[in-house]
Amino acid sequence: MEKYVLVTGASSGIGKSVAISLSENYPVILHGRNLDRLNEVKNICSLHNKCLVWQEDLVQVEKLEEHLQHFLLENEVIIEGYVHCAGLMKMLPLRSQSLINIQETFNTNVVSAMLITKVLSSKKWNKGGLRSIVYISSNISNRGAKAFNVYASSKGALDAFMRSMAVELAPNVRVNSILPGAVFTDMTMDIFANKEVEERMKATYPLGFGHPQDIADGVNFLLSEKARWITGQQLVIDGGRTVDITG
Amino acid sequence: MENFLEQIAELLEVDVVNEADELKSFEAWDSLTILSIIAMANENYGVVLNAAEINGANTIAGLWSLIESKKA
Repeated sequence: MEKYVLVTGASSGIGKSVAISLSENYPVILHGRNLDRLNEVKNICSLHNKCLVWQEDLVQVEKLEEHLQHFLLENEVIIEGYVHCAGLMKMLPLRSQSLINIQETFNTNVVSAMLITKVLSSKKWNKGGLRSIVYISSNISNRGAKAFNVYASSKGALDAFMRSMAVELAPNVRVNSILPGAVFTDMTMDIFANKEVEERMKATYPLGFGHPQDIADGVNFLLSEKARWITGQQLVIDGGRTVDITG
Repeated sequence: MENFLEQIAELLEVDVVNEADELKSFEAWDSLTILSIIAMANENYGVVLNAAEINGANTIAGLWSLIESKKA
């Protein structure tokens, strides 16, 4: 059985860049909701390695385990690396948040990552093949900002889960997260569309804004043997945003 | 429009709003309220607004006209 790296949220943004970049080094499974967009990404991926597509909506988590188990069996694959890039972000003050927003955000950002990790760390379903997990968190995880209430708490939960899994799955599986700052993606396009906000943010990034490839480079490192003694860590890749306390 | 007035009143944290009311006159008027209006317009009316357009609408009636014009 061939070994693959699973990338969730691979049809756009950071996930797309991560998937394309990883396809140079690993057979990849591209996960997303939209089959057409996934196939577009598949066409950009390297021809040196195999590439499969898994269509699943991570907002609906009730049958997620079952669907992933079926996918593994049907395709006769083992997943050695798992990168959770799928993410939902709705910037709203808490007074405008709804129960549905909260549940959809947590399902996509946290619950699905838990359930996928459960299946992939199971000997029965993945033959003990899992070696490394990277969750894409956010630099808001350890901080606070207006309108980030639900999104920030989901990323904080994801990082707390990451640390526990690093301990629970050692020594066979390394588990880490990456905390990106603002990078240009479809999800953050609305933020950058506001000139005033863009200018304000620009002034607070010592290295300027990042691009999805900057995050993909971090994922490549954490999945590789060069990170063999690193587990349970948050790797902040944000151009220095969260260490800058210049008044 | 009646529904819209109720939705806006809730976002502005007041009991009622009038069409002629100026957006900036409300105590709750800030960047967070603008985010809420962007989300409300998208979810309830299927239109995409930005902050500059909303600020340019000036009044409650102006905001409604803006949404109507985007629907067309």
